[in-house]
Amino acid sequence: MYGKGLLKGLWITFKHSFEKKDLVVRYPEQMPHLQERFRGSLAFDFEKCIACGICIRNCPNNVLSMETAKDEDSKKKKLMQYTIDLQYCMFCNLCVEDCPTNSLYFTHDFELSQFHRDDIKRVYHRPPELDQQEAAQKTSDQDTQTAADDKKEKQLRAMINAINKNPQKVLARVLDGEEQVEVLAAVLMADEKKLARMAEMMITDKEKAKKVALAFVKKELKEREKGGDQ
Amino acid sequence: MLQTDQYIINIGPQHPSTHGGLHVEALMDGENVVDAIVHLGYVHRSIEKIAESRTYPQFVPYASRLDYLASHLPTLGYCQAVEKMMGIEVPERAEYLRVIMAEFSRISSHLIFIGSMAIDLGATTGLIYCLRDRERIMDMFEMTSGQRMIASYMRIGGIAEDVPETFYAAARSFLDDLPQMIDEYNGLITGNEILQCRIKGVGTLSAEDAIAYGVTGPNLRACGIDYDIRKAEPYGIYDRFEFDVPLGTKGDSWNRYIVRLEEIKESARIIEQALDALPQGDIRTKVPRVLKPESGWEIYHRIESSKGELGYYIVADGGNKPYRLHVRAPSFINLMVLPIISRGGKLQDIIANIATLDPVLGESDR
Amino acid sequence: MEHWFTDIAQALVNWLMGLGLSAGWADFVLLIVQWLCIVMIVTINVIILIWLERKVSGFIQLRLGPNRLGPYGAFQTIADAIKLLTKEDIIPSRTDKWIFMTAPLFFIVVSVMLYAVIPMGDGMQVVDFNVGLLYFISIGSLSTICLLMAGWGSNNKWSMLGAMRAVAQMISYEIPLAISLLGVVMIAGSLRLSDIVVAQGNIWFVLLQPIAFITYFIAATAELNRGPFDMPEAEQELTAGAYTEYTGMRWALFFLAEYTNLVAVSALCATMFFGGWQGPGLPSWLWIIIKTYLIMLVFMWMKWTFPRIRMDHLMSFSWKILLPVSLANLVLTGFGLEFFKWMGWW
Repeated sequence: MYGKGLLKGLWITFKHSFEKKDLVVRYPEQMPHLQERFRGSLAFDFEKCIACGICIRNCPNNVLSMETAKDEDSKKKKLMQYTIDLQYCMFCNLCVEDCPTNSLYFTHDFELSQFHRDDIKRVYHRPPELDQQEAAQKTSDQDTQTAADDKKEKQLRAMINAINKNPQKVLARVLDGEEQVEVLAAVLMADEKKLARMAEMMITDKEKAKKVALAFVKKELKEREKGGDQ
Repeated sequence: MLQTDQYIINIGPQHPSTHGGLHVEALMDGENVVDAIVHLGYVHRSIEKIAESRTYPQFVPYASRLDYLASHLPTLGYCQAVEKMMGIEVPERAEYLRVIMAEFSRISSHLIFIGSMAIDLGATTGLIYCLRDRERIMDMFEMTSGQRMIASYMRIGGIAEDVPETFYAAARSFLDDLPQMIDEYNGLITGNEILQCRIKGVGTLSAEDAIAYGVTGPNLRACGIDYDIRKAEPYGIYDRFEFDVPLGTKGDSWNRYIVRLEEIKESARIIEQALDALPQGDIRTKVPRVLKPESGWEIYHRIESSKGELGYYIVADGGNKPYRLHVRAPSFINLMVLPIISRGGKLQDIIANIATLDPVLGESDR
Repeated sequence: MEHWFTDIAQALVNWLMGLGLSAGWADFVLLIVQWLCIVMIVTINVIILIWLERKVSGFIQLRLGPNRLGPYGAFQTIADAIKLLTKEDIIPSRTDKWIFMTAPLFFIVVSVMLYAVIPMGDGMQVVDFNVGLLYFISIGSLSTICLLMAGWGSNNKWSMLGAMRAVAQMISYEIPLAISLLGVVMIAGSLRLSDIVVAQGNIWFVLLQPIAFITYFIAATAELNRGPFDMPEAEQELTAGAYTEYTGMRWALFFLAEYTNLVAVSALCATMFFGGWQGPGLPSWLWIIIKTYLIMLVFMWMKWTFPRIRMDHLMSFSWKILLPVSLANLVLTGFGLEFFKWMGWW
């Protein structure tokens, strides 16, 4: 009927005008409730980045760019600078989604207005701490290297000593048959270089040592045969 | 002797109720509309051209920007088009979640329609109540994708992320409260006699004209033509759900309004079924990082957007970018009937007609 | 408390006469003082009303309304007024300059003139005309001309449409407005507003004349150009209607005049149907303020709930429904009065 709908509408607005106004977020004082996945501002974690460039390839709007340099020693790509030109960003999540190390991520910061265009751009320079860290890493690597070398030499000397002391027993590891072992022992005792080579091979690669030992024995036997003939 | 004269009045592009940058050049005789010409292109962002310089996955966020009021629907259409072209299968769970998101988008778009129609007819408060309820859907989108309006949640081969646990409760509680919300709209907007006078019998579009102009979506169904792509040519898994297609009888503004109001309820039914049947599993198939359809491949895929038939026509040239991408934007085609439904009406009817045709200028101008 | 203002006025007259002025001159000075008071009342009222309108619309729309400046945003209107005062006064080049510039001035003058006859308390009336109601209605209809001036002078199609709508609407609604008030006049037997108030000593006329009240209320809404009848402005259709080209203080004057009209029409409504300043306990001037504000709240409530009516429906509603109804009410009142007299109850 005419008028009934009007009165109903009036009643609805009347009821609502006495409702508690908790829908309103009084923004600067009261921050809005943001969901966990909210995409506010794009942020970058320099240390995690491996400079793979997937984000840059994924970005539809050329927001992201980076500068890399080759590390002189390891020939690895080294990230020098990472730029997020946020004014072109559409917050589409394509870069963050495919980042293998999660070095790109969204924060909940949504207050992105700036007075100047340049301030919107976010440039991440390579932090000096990172270089220092890397340098520290390198020296410690070298230390371990020398330590390993020392250990190797020690082992080698011990092996040579062992061969000198008891050739029959030690050389039995690479050769079968007493005769052959005796021949090999004789060869090695005669030549110190060959002894050192054999000892090293016995530590690192037994198979190779076996082959080489066999070759030594054969050669020696041949020479002996020649000598015998003469 | 008094002399009367016809005059031209420019409604828009700077006008409070043209939903963006729409320009209607109306030839008037006093308050009566003699003719109306629609001028478009004020929101042209050359999205189709942009697509030619973006790889296939990169275009997804741009698709969101077509119909920003129901951003899951255009991305869904685009992803399905590419999947159809590449023969990519989508996991079950992703299909269900896509349906849920798409239908929530449809509800939110229709809520905006009801609200904006109310405010275009002068009932400012109607908009606020609709926005209040739409806010809950926006919160759900933020929960799942991280963005409220332009979510870009769909991906080629699935969806971006699985929904968080909190989503189910939020979705269920929204669906539970929906009848109450619709009651409120009925009380404040639908039942209002002034509003009924404004839109009943106004802007009548005959079924023949609607078909001749290629009108689709709720505007076509308001004319009584049962054509919903979800039923006529089910895409995704829409054939598994039970829902009705609300139809109008006369094709006037009132029918267009009622059809959309009813569609909200049907969408809610679909979401409820999808939530009940939601399987566990993957949400995204492995898709090669670089998609390269072979040269000469082309595809047309269409979905039922909240505005009508949203189609993507993609031509590939063997590269990782489309050679050409065309969007069949329902808003654009639906707007073309504005002159024929406005002729002979009043100036105020043009406003009501624009409102009930429910154009999104971002999609129409692309 | 009851006689504060009348006492002050009397004291002023006595003091002036003590200075050697004749009674006529003293009354004349008093008249000027009273006019100044009215202008002050109008300004203060408008400041409060704009704040109230924003608050009411905010509460209806689940918002808080102004809440930043001052307690509950009370100083927001003052800040806005300062902003409008300091804005550049733009007069578009192809306007009809004199008409464009004077329209808001005429509008505000006409609106303030309405207050001359409103009884703002027991004996608190600037002029107690014996045809006060007629004066009110005739002055009220003058604002039509101001809106037409604004629309015509702006040389803008939207403004012109708004002005034409205003003229058509306000003239059509004058008639049911006047005729619905006639029923009250018939019962009270006078056009003098103070007499009408006194006649409601026993019973408010809203109970004797409910139909007249409803028709008056609807017609008054249309007269005030308030929603759902805000055709001349019609933001969603005509951008700002007749006021499209106005900026700064000239626009603010229109705003001021509209709210001034709102107060005047609501005060008349209170006077004609709700017993005017009569009421128990509180002083009479407080009663009329309370009644006026309650009526204005209803106006606001309606504006923020209803959609805008269409122009042709508006006209047909006036001529086909309101006018016959108010005429029928007039006939009914006449018969009723005769019947009561015949029965000896009057």
